[in-house]
Amino acid sequence: MKSFVDIDHVDKVFPLPNGDRYIALKNIDLTIQQGEFVSLIGHSGCGKSTLLNIVAGFEHASSGGVVLEGREVYEPGPDRMVVFQNYSLLPWKTVYQNIALAVDSAMKKLPAGERRGIAEYHLDLVGLRRARDKFPHELSGGMRQRVAIARALAIRPKLLLLDEPFGALDALTRGNLQEQLMRICEESHTTCIMVTHDVDEALLLSDRIVMLTNGPEARVGRVLEVPIPRPRHRLEVVNHPSYYALRNEVIYFLNQQKRAKRRPTAPAMVTSGAKTTVDIGFIPLTDCAPLVVAQEKGLFKKYGLDVTLNREPSWGAIAEGIASQRLDAAQMVAGLPLALTLGMGNNAPIPVITGLVMSRNGNAITIGKPLHQKGVHTLKDLKEALLQTPDQSHIFGTVHPASMQNLLLRHWLSSGGINPDQDVSLTVIPPAQIVSNLKAGSIDGFCAGEPWNARVVYEDLGVVMATSEDLWAGHPEKVLGVREDWATQRPETHMALIKALLEACEYCDDRRHREEILDLLCLPQYVGSDPVYTRLGFIDPYLQNKHAEPESLLRHNQFFINRTNHPVWGETLWIMTQLARWGISPFPKNWVEVLGRTCRLDLFSAAACELGLPDIETAPKPFSVLDETVFDPNDPIEYLNRLPFCRSIRVEEIMLDAPPNAA
Amino acid sequence: MVARIERSSVPSSPLLNVKTLFQKHSRKIIAPLVAIALFAVFWQLFSMTPNAGLPGPIRTLQETWYLIVNPFFDNGGIDKGLFWQIFASLQRVAIGYTMAAIVGIALGILIGANPLMYDALDPMFQVFRTVPPLAWLPISLAIFRDSNPSAIFVIFITAIWPIIINTTVGVQQIPQDYKNVARMLRLSRKDYFFEVLFPATVPYIFTGLRIGIGLSWLAIIAAEMLVGGVGIGFFIWDAWNSSRMSEIIISLIYVGIVGLLLDRLIAVAANRIVPGARS
Repeated sequence: MKSFVDIDHVDKVFPLPNGDRYIALKNIDLTIQQGEFVSLIGHSGCGKSTLLNIVAGFEHASSGGVVLEGREVYEPGPDRMVVFQNYSLLPWKTVYQNIALAVDSAMKKLPAGERRGIAEYHLDLVGLRRARDKFPHELSGGMRQRVAIARALAIRPKLLLLDEPFGALDALTRGNLQEQLMRICEESHTTCIMVTHDVDEALLLSDRIVMLTNGPEARVGRVLEVPIPRPRHRLEVVNHPSYYALRNEVIYFLNQQKRAKRRPTAPAMVTSGAKTTVDIGFIPLTDCAPLVVAQEKGLFKKYGLDVTLNREPSWGAIAEGIASQRLDAAQMVAGLPLALTLGMGNNAPIPVITGLVMSRNGNAITIGKPLHQKGVHTLKDLKEALLQTPDQSHIFGTVHPASMQNLLLRHWLSSGGINPDQDVSLTVIPPAQIVSNLKAGSIDGFCAGEPWNARVVYEDLGVVMATSEDLWAGHPEKVLGVREDWATQRPETHMALIKALLEACEYCDDRRHREEILDLLCLPQYVGSDPVYTRLGFIDPYLQNKHAEPESLLRHNQFFINRTNHPVWGETLWIMTQLARWGISPFPKNWVEVLGRTCRLDLFSAAACELGLPDIETAPKPFSVLDETVFDPNDPIEYLNRLPFCRSIRVEEIMLDAPPNAA
Repeated sequence: MVARIERSSVPSSPLLNVKTLFQKHSRKIIAPLVAIALFAVFWQLFSMTPNAGLPGPIRTLQETWYLIVNPFFDNGGIDKGLFWQIFASLQRVAIGYTMAAIVGIALGILIGANPLMYDALDPMFQVFRTVPPLAWLPISLAIFRDSNPSAIFVIFITAIWPIIINTTVGVQQIPQDYKNVARMLRLSRKDYFFEVLFPATVPYIFTGLRIGIGLSWLAIIAAEMLVGGVGIGFFIWDAWNSSRMSEIIISLIYVGIVGLLLDRLIAVAANRIVPGARS
């Protein structure tokens, strides 16, 4: 179905008198169908009225725009009538004259008699026949709002915009008016967008409820469908079986946002004494290239940072280093910030944030020669091999429970009908030791990053079964993770770090620099691997099998192109579902809050903006990973329930802030 | 139940009506009367002291009784009854003030709607506004070389500033809501002016008009004292020159009452024209 209203990546930035910018709305992306009733809900100051004003044309989006029936909205017009909270009737005109002014100015072409008929008809529609010749100040609030609605509807707008229309009315009047509005809208098939902060009102009237996160940088937090059939009546709606579940969802969302709002913002920033020496942990892998480049090409220095790169033995060491504050920042596998924030392994939650994805792809699933020689070429073969040898345990290595390697390997096995918890056994081995383990026969296969797959194939110890491109092309792989408290205390250092690494990422994806980077990576203090196999997939075509033709995989290590560096909520949420699926961490009931806290789109967009890079976020769209099951970022639990081999999920409220000591 | 309320609220006789009305507003009526009586007593006592320069209320009434009872006599020249004196002053005010209202409202709307004009002209107006009315008189005499047009010009130039300034503010203060409605309906310029801008500005215009009428009445007395001819201002000056203190006193009371009536007149007009405007 063609969309009727298209709110396309709308940002709204207000310049402040002191030269700063206040980002009110960020990347609002909505499509609305004809005849649909959509409510915008959120706390005060979240920019919902601003959004409505942009649709009305009173304000302009700083970037992005609004398209109504294929035409961009530039200025207010009678095709988008607004019902304001304060009614905005002209006090020197009677009820009838107020309506007639709208009809006369918007329908000039009609003969006078017909125009009068339209005005009178709408007067009757809202039941104000007896108040026809009264002035607005002689009417009650509810009557005034009915006049405003009649005025708006009389000229047959394509879109009716309601800005907290019943906010100033008493409960009884509000209820009556809501029912009247609903009836009129249904009869005239008017498309409506309503701003409200009344949950029951939103549920009663809407087909969809769009929940906005708190400003600044308000985004669409969640979209909730209200599947209650029409025509609706108040009592029937309240008694509908899904009513309270829906209501709880909205209230829960609002409470999460309220809690986020109460959280103290950045304490007094110490700009002069900001720490410019930074300890960053990394793991020797091809995709630590941005860190190496930023260090060796002086990009950290350019941003005033004195960085020490600490080569860590394992991802577990990185997690410990961040938790104990030995490390200020670290290269992390994409799931690690979430796992730490959610308190993986029954640890206390440590909020860890990421504002930069440093690389995408770069993983592969490799099996050892013995398995390959048994005729395992595909996932299906693997399943059969496992069935044939039920008494034998097959061990697969991954690098960390919260790593994409683990999650993708498990997802891949499940998609082939193999239960990763029962049919095989998975073990965690640091990446650098994985090849020796395969060689020694202590594992049958593994999923890890480069250059270790390439080395196995190059040394003819095994074959690659699937690469990142086969599993989930463009999945987030390594991110820059820091503790939230560290970032709050040193926002400028953190920003400098993101900018330096963003620039390094851009450098890494220029293929002319790859030879130089390869030389740097192969230095003993970094990866220290042999360039002969390290270059496979990084510069040269990728080898999946020693005896097969090399395959050109230009995006096997993706550092910058194709929006590599944008953190994306939908992807992070998918990771969250998988962590819950395999029992690595509970699924947070307050997942919107957790997403907003860990996956800091605002930091990335600030950095990109300062570097003059385009910052276009994608709207949260449903996607699927590897299999047919569609992941809708608005309903993660439902996705989890459809996945095979899902353990019983713990859904818990994760308290990210330690409760205050005193009540 | 409704019927009973209606019956009890309808008074049984007109006499009772007056009585209840009086009871309701007794304080509002009695208090000023007592104050006036006290004032008259003190004035009388004061005038009975030796060396008192002013006649007491009783002597004033005695001496001016012929003026009070014969307001319409006309002996030719400037020897006319008080009605004619005040009427002549009012005529001048009417002409000057009407011109000030027309020019002032037009200029005010123009300036209010145009920020550039406002920035350019407002400082000048702020200076002119503070010039005392009589200071304009020599200039107007130089321009018109005649006493009557000069007096009218002084009224005009006195009354115009508050009208301009209030109209300007009124246009600038049109609530954003009304402008939004106009933008949403895409009203034409003409419609915007007549349906939104002007009606929204009317309360402010009337504020300006009320201040203007008060200032005009202040200015005309002073101007007439200087330019002469028939008019209450010169009547007072003439009485002073002939040492008729009682006539001065009675004229002052007339001037005050007329000023009050003029102010009320504009207020009543404002309430009639602007429905629901603040009082």
